[in-house]
Amino acid sequence: MNEEQVWLEQARQGDKAAFGKLIEAYQTPVYNLAYRMLNNAGEAEEAAQEAFIRAYTRLDSYNPEHKFSTWMLSITSNYCIDLIRKRRALLLSIDEPLPPHPALMSDNSKGPEAQVVMNEQQAMVQTLLQELPEDYRQTVVLRYWYDLSYDEIADMMDTTVSAIKSRLFRARRLLAEVGQEAGLDPVRDSAALTAVS
Amino acid sequence: MEHEETYLLMMDALDGELAEAQHSELEAHLRACPSCLQEWQALLAVHTLLQQTPALSPAVDFAQRTLARLPNRRVRIWTLTAIYALLLLGGILPLALAVWLVFILRPVLSEPTILSSISQSIGQALQVMGTIVWALLAGLGEMVVQQPAIVGWLLVLLGIISIWGGVSRQLIFQTSPRQTS
Repeated sequence: MNEEQVWLEQARQGDKAAFGKLIEAYQTPVYNLAYRMLNNAGEAEEAAQEAFIRAYTRLDSYNPEHKFSTWMLSITSNYCIDLIRKRRALLLSIDEPLPPHPALMSDNSKGPEAQVVMNEQQAMVQTLLQELPEDYRQTVVLRYWYDLSYDEIADMMDTTVSAIKSRLFRARRLLAEVGQEAGLDPVRDSAALTAVS
Repeated sequence: MEHEETYLLMMDALDGELAEAQHSELEAHLRACPSCLQEWQALLAVHTLLQQTPALSPAVDFAQRTLARLPNRRVRIWTLTAIYALLLLGGILPLALAVWLVFILRPVLSEPTILSSISQSIGQALQVMGTIVWALLAGLGEMVVQQPAIVGWLLVLLGIISIWGGVSRQLIFQTSPRQTS
């Protein structure tokens, strides 16, 4: 039994400190997923907290044959999709300027120039992701940041592998189109051809 | 090679799943087809951007604050156990009592006159319940037919209450102090 399984077993018995270890281990992937989906730091933190609370209260339904990380990401992405749908149902404007991510504002470990470049890169990514329908966005985020296989993503989203492939195909083409409109420089000819092989 | 076929090869190339023989096939097509090359350059740019963008972390005290919000699982487990036990007892006890009573009163209950009166009582009770349900449904139907405006206003009112409930929840959610440091 590895460390994570021990924490899970202890958490199942009601040991909050053990679950705290799991929160520390998975806070970045869970928060990152919520932020990429919701594009709002406050909502993302609230969603990430809610996902951990849901996981804690539903620990009995967790199947240890699956990876805990995949289960956690599944809870988070489903919760975010619900939030996005509620947000749309309320007809509230989501076009208002959103605050930049606090980690980007407070990260002094990089030089100012590198920080500016990183901020621009993060802003560009968020701009592109927001152009996608939520199920496409979910697929792209799970594929790029979590390196999940098509099988794992299909399992999480309760759909087929071919549906996931199709979503990723369309999402990539849509992102490429929006990227060009947003001023994302295409890869040069020689580099593009080199990338094939 | 058709463009659509090329797109599929491009996707495989982005996923790193392009077979050896297909590398040269795709490269040859890209060299010959400017529109596919342009598409590939744009796809590659987005792919590289996404691959190179690091994950974002929450505020430093996120774990502590989340931990503070966790419900007490032990209390929850005991409460649920107690509720299930009560529900179980609530179902089993009356059933056991009924079986015991039937067993005790078996000689009396087996008399034909008692049996027929029991079945009659059950039939009458069902009839009364049917009449009540029918009257309620008929009354509701009458109201819809005779006072459609009132019914309409009630529906509109319900809609307004529901929308404002959602809006106010959203406003409260948005204006609550951000917990990020």
